[in-house]
Amino acid sequence: MADLRDQTLGFRLRHEWPAYLYLLPTVAVLLVLNAYPIAYCIYISMTDFGTGGRGSLLSYHYIGITNYQFALTTGASTSLALVENSFLWAGGSVVLFLLIGLGLASVLNQPLRGRAIYRTVILLPWAFPAFITLLVWTNMWGYEYGIINSMLNLVGIPSVNWLLSTPTAAWSALFITNIWLSFPFYTVVFLATMQAIPKDLYEAASIDGAGTFSQFRRITLPYLAPTVIFVGLMGFLFTFNNFYPIYLITNGGPGISTQIFITESYNDAFGAHGATPLFSTAAMYSVLDFLIIVCLTLVVIWRTDLTRNWLK
Amino acid sequence: MKPRRRRRWTRWAKRIASHVVLIIACIFAVFPIYFIVVTSLSTLPIAGITAHVLLPNPSQLTLSSYNTVLLHESPSYLSLLENSLIFSGSAAAIGLLLAAFTGFALSKFNFPGRRTFVYFILLISLFPSVVMIIPFYLMFAKLGLIDSYIGLIIPYSAGAVVFSGILVKNYMDSIPDDIEEAALIDGMSRTEAFFRVMIPLCLPVLGLAAFLAFMGPYTDYAYAHVFLTSSDKWTLALGLYNINSSDTGTQNYGLVTSFAIVMSLPIVAFYMVFQRYIIGGLTLGAVRG
Repeated sequence: MADLRDQTLGFRLRHEWPAYLYLLPTVAVLLVLNAYPIAYCIYISMTDFGTGGRGSLLSYHYIGITNYQFALTTGASTSLALVENSFLWAGGSVVLFLLIGLGLASVLNQPLRGRAIYRTVILLPWAFPAFITLLVWTNMWGYEYGIINSMLNLVGIPSVNWLLSTPTAAWSALFITNIWLSFPFYTVVFLATMQAIPKDLYEAASIDGAGTFSQFRRITLPYLAPTVIFVGLMGFLFTFNNFYPIYLITNGGPGISTQIFITESYNDAFGAHGATPLFSTAAMYSVLDFLIIVCLTLVVIWRTDLTRNWLK
Repeated sequence: MKPRRRRRWTRWAKRIASHVVLIIACIFAVFPIYFIVVTSLSTLPIAGITAHVLLPNPSQLTLSSYNTVLLHESPSYLSLLENSLIFSGSAAAIGLLLAAFTGFALSKFNFPGRRTFVYFILLISLFPSVVMIIPFYLMFAKLGLIDSYIGLIIPYSAGAVVFSGILVKNYMDSIPDDIEEAALIDGMSRTEAFFRVMIPLCLPVLGLAAFLAFMGPYTDYAYAHVFLTSSDKWTLALGLYNINSSDTGTQNYGLVTSFAIVMSLPIVAFYMVFQRYIIGGLTLGAVRG
């Protein structure tokens, strides 16, 4: 209740105290099951837990920022690759989502026969749980038996070893799969925003002689801008930590050319990188990931007022 | 060409180009799903799958893969489904309760510390959830909670709280304060107003929050893979991953895809029916869909 903002602290405490009761269970959950594990994770990143085979569940030692120093000196090439890959993954995906989403939405925003059918069909991929379709996509990209290569062979193109040969091939497979997962959502969101633009603006513009392109640039885009920026930023933050596409399709390969922070971290702790779980390294990469995301979010909050409504 | 004929011609060209673009988009969207459906109706090993399976002879289609997946796999589909429902159902119930309380407190109260709290949950939500597995695993290993139902329900429920809380708060923001005030004037306490007025008004968003909280565990592999070691506690996601990765190329690939379809169907149905709410909810009200 915004009109209470002017009241004194004592007045607000007396009248608004039941809020604390409502928040009590959530605060307990957040402290015990979010804040404490995060702090614990930061602590583990400053131990020798698992590195060099010395650590076990019972004995590991605090070693300060040694792991971070290692990541910035000897391990700098890996760290740099993870930064580059994470940004390429998130940035590249979002640019593609926005271009394809905007393009398809503006095509769908015309009076076309069968528009409702197109819209329903385009939404299909989004309705399937990503984990399930990703497993199938992994098989579809297969070198010997993948359906994508068999179809390329049909039109005379030789098979491509998508996931294991070159970084370019692996990234192409990842981006195409990620587009498939996300373009329905972006298209429908932009279409909904376009349809909320008052129609008389376009009528007035076309009476004044504005063509389709200049109508798009001068009416549609300005109206869409807040949605595009908001959805784009959220998409970036989401994709930066989107684990399953990379984990299931390339698992960071070939080499570490598609490895991002979160997959590296999971693999260090529980995965394919060998028998010893490198908990301290894994924790360190997740802390670095967290720091990058926090910095990006702070910039977003300071530089735009898009989140104002949300944080109100 | 005369100007008028030219304009008509360009309009036709535009219309045809639009249809072509949309048809390509639809083929792209449908192709993997079509592939899943067609192969689920066959019993071919993955090594036998070529472009020819895309145009099958109708008489060769068979439901035998479905039969095997549903009735003759171990652990059985029913046991996997039961575990998935236990995990997802508990997470959805707990998450929903917490989200309703949080949303109400953040939306309808102006308590001291409110802004700090919002920034606090925003900060927490930025920590990547997949790597929370590391501290959870180490904490729960000490407590002996690995490979137990409760040991996985706890992190699942914790994961849903932040996003659902913000979702419910946004929805409640759009409900005028007058409605609650009217209830207070009628002699209800604020608690009564919450349960008897606000909760019923928020049913759509609470349904969405519950669904999203349900979906997380239903399709989670990262946590379950680490936490569940005995196969009698496995979920559907683990079962699907297991069938898929045990496929050496000679086994019937239809098992993977028919499992995928049976597991997806309830979710697909829900998405198709409630897509409007879900899209609106996922953009946190930035778009009126």
